[in-house]
Amino acid sequence: MTATTAQASHGHAHHEELPFIRKYVFSSDHKIIAIQFMFLSLLFLLLGGLLAMAVRWQLGFPGQPLPFGRLLGEGVAPSGVIAPKFYLGLVTMHATYMIFFAIMPLLVGTFANYLIPLKIGAPDMAFPRLNMWSFWLMIPAGTFALLSLYAEGGSPAAGWTGYAPLSNTPVYSGVSTGQIYWCLGIAVFALSSLLGSVNYITTVINLRAPGMHWFRLPLSVWALFITAILAVLAVPILAGAIIMLLFDQVLGTHFYLPSGGGQPLLWQHLFWFFGHPEVYILILPAMGIVSDIIANGSRKPIFGYHSMVYALCTIAFLGWVVWGHHMFQSGMNPTLGTTFMASTILIAVPTAIKVFNWMGTMWRGNLQLHVPMLNAIGFVAMFVIGGLSGIFMASAPVDMYIHDTYFIVAHIHYVLFGGSLFAIFAGIYFWYPKMFGRQMDETLGKWHFWLTFVTYNATFFPMHILGVAGHMRRIYDPNTYEFLRPLQSLNTFISVSAFLLLGSQLPFMWNFVRSLARPKMTDINPWRDNGLEWTLPSPPPHGNYATPPIVLHGPYEYSRPDTAEDFLPQDQPLPAHQETR
Amino acid sequence: MPAAEHKHPNYIAIWIYLALLTAAELTVALLKLLPRNWLVIALLFLAVWKALLVALYFMHLKFEPRRLVVTIIAPLPLAVILILAILTEFAKQP
Amino acid sequence: MAHAAAMPDAAPAVPAHQPSAGTLGVYTQKLGMWVFLTSEVMFFTALIGSYVILRWGTATEWPDPTKTLAVGITAVNTFILICSSVSMVKAYAAAVHDDQPGLKKWLLTTVVGGATFVGIQFMEYRNLLHEGFRPSSGLFGSTFYVMTGFHGFHVTCGVISMAYVTLRAFQGKYAGGKYEGIETIGLYWHFVDLVWIILFTIVYLI
Repeated sequence: MTATTAQASHGHAHHEELPFIRKYVFSSDHKIIAIQFMFLSLLFLLLGGLLAMAVRWQLGFPGQPLPFGRLLGEGVAPSGVIAPKFYLGLVTMHATYMIFFAIMPLLVGTFANYLIPLKIGAPDMAFPRLNMWSFWLMIPAGTFALLSLYAEGGSPAAGWTGYAPLSNTPVYSGVSTGQIYWCLGIAVFALSSLLGSVNYITTVINLRAPGMHWFRLPLSVWALFITAILAVLAVPILAGAIIMLLFDQVLGTHFYLPSGGGQPLLWQHLFWFFGHPEVYILILPAMGIVSDIIANGSRKPIFGYHSMVYALCTIAFLGWVVWGHHMFQSGMNPTLGTTFMASTILIAVPTAIKVFNWMGTMWRGNLQLHVPMLNAIGFVAMFVIGGLSGIFMASAPVDMYIHDTYFIVAHIHYVLFGGSLFAIFAGIYFWYPKMFGRQMDETLGKWHFWLTFVTYNATFFPMHILGVAGHMRRIYDPNTYEFLRPLQSLNTFISVSAFLLLGSQLPFMWNFVRSLARPKMTDINPWRDNGLEWTLPSPPPHGNYATPPIVLHGPYEYSRPDTAEDFLPQDQPLPAHQETR
Repeated sequence: MPAAEHKHPNYIAIWIYLALLTAAELTVALLKLLPRNWLVIALLFLAVWKALLVALYFMHLKFEPRRLVVTIIAPLPLAVILILAILTEFAKQP
Repeated sequence: MAHAAAMPDAAPAVPAHQPSAGTLGVYTQKLGMWVFLTSEVMFFTALIGSYVILRWGTATEWPDPTKTLAVGITAVNTFILICSSVSMVKAYAAAVHDDQPGLKKWLLTTVVGGATFVGIQFMEYRNLLHEGFRPSSGLFGSTFYVMTGFHGFHVTCGVISMAYVTLRAFQGKYAGGKYEGIETIGLYWHFVDLVWIILFTIVYLI
């Protein structure tokens, strides 16, 4: 990372030179915090991926010793073969790490922190020191989450959804300490997430530069803003629910224990009331990032900017009243279930609007298929597939058949990997030059994209087939079920594809690290983008703008016939000084 | 623009109000002055009244811009929806 | 954070102690606190909502709280907390009018009131535990301890923050009409009082 001292000398006389530890470790600069989140999350992404490899090993080669399996220890992998209880732990912790410690901190912790102040023309977040706390709370949270993997009694094995009474009754699960660490890790994470979201909301409302009206905000900022609102309202519910679960485990309370008058369904309702807005937290920022990149890569304004904003708002709004679709098979009140079915089917509409608008943006655009654009287009295609499988599940009668099968697993991974993760890759490739002053190698990036795209589809598409054939989730050895034995070759195919998928990330990892050592680039706007951040040096100095920029128009003025270039940054005047609305 | 520009409400008067309402609550609850259902309704009514006094006058919501008040109130139906939905769930159980 | 340098179509410069406002018309610190309080509403909704659901949604027998809990002393405690809310708002008014002695007096009163509340709650817990009323004492015990416990935790955090703010007041950090910090922490304090007003009624009296 280059020193920002040279750039800091103009316009920021109020800021003295900070020691290294205040500048790069305990920093309150949103850009440093964003990069800290990014490194932490990428580590957890890798760890989550490795856990998935172990899961796929067991499913692809049941009962075979895992390569390097003996390193795991005899307790969890006797003779290198993954034990059933550890398998459930792997499945639980894979999802827990991916959702809470990889995807959320990448989409929100990284991109919200990095982009919001820069794109709205602000010097930093509204509460920079609170922002610093938000990151550093991830350390104890992550520590608890890591400790739970090898806790005495085993890692939490109740799934990332932690359903009670399995999760609060050691007599059933065999797990006690591990589940407690799990609860603590997520509770601390919830606090971190909450503090961050308060910052993002306040910053967008109050710290926009002059001229940055609401409908001149880039869609990435809109999406991150709405995501933060979802988080502020949903995450506390998770915190409350998990605290009650924790109390059931350590204080002998009976919130979710039928033996004491408690209600297991209470956990499910509370969890999914959080859980559904959570999945929109996991996808909306991705949609926002992709919108910005597709406009850039098409050299065209985003199609239907206003409807994109309204669609984001509608999805966020409707997302509050669909949570029951995760519980269709729980024995819940059937009338309530019907209302959830209706609202769930309805939410496809604003989502479809967004997909059509992305396509409309690309239509007849001057397509620049740079690496971020490839990943963004990949996002759209894969997210559509994920959304289509969602329509099946929205129908309660169909869900009766496919619930808790691999059809659901396919859906999850199409929206979270095909969706969120491709968008994350797009975002990293796109903003890496601004963060580090160097560009990632384009050729390696293309190898990474195509290898990932192919192996990813080979891994997850067949899971639709497995699911419809009746293959259940979270089972250790499918061969114990006669009707699943014919599917073993498909499972093995998926597993081999998954190993290749992990291998496909090597070009990315190498590219990321290697590019840091390349010489700094002189071009501060390599993507010829309109965002305010591209008017600043790479990396931007502490305090960002020497003087607040004046914003003169919206963010998608690409390929205007009356400008020399095919882009027009937001602080550049329109020709003949016309103002757009 | 700053909240201080309005005339301060009479905080002591609000305090006395709150004290009286609390006393009323205690009287109703401990002396069981009403049949059960009406008791609950009366106590909830008194509690909400006190909460509104604190919110409107001590937290100054009565004097803040409408936009802020609307923004704060907007998510409250979510809390209601959550509780009502789960209640309907259990209403079916014996 | 005013971007109010001499820019063409920006807002006119505001005097030092007048906070600037954004879309919702309130300054940043206050907005941040309100956003945070909204999240706290949702948090207490989870806890209090669960209580409502477990008590009235299910067939569980529920003991009469007025018999099990010390309603009398808690009523006094409720009054103490309300008083501390009054002293808080008086502190705010003092800060607005740059009445430094008044500010210090009312802030100290608030800290003492809050600390007293926590102290009495703590003692009540000891008595109840001594009598055998524990978190594991059925759903009543579970819900009682989690709701009042987390409320008490919030008050404790409030007392610590208030003590810090009081220290800063004595250092003159809120002189010259700089009331924003006082108003902001005041909002948190009133919120905690508000939650207790609800809790006291539905846990102790109903």
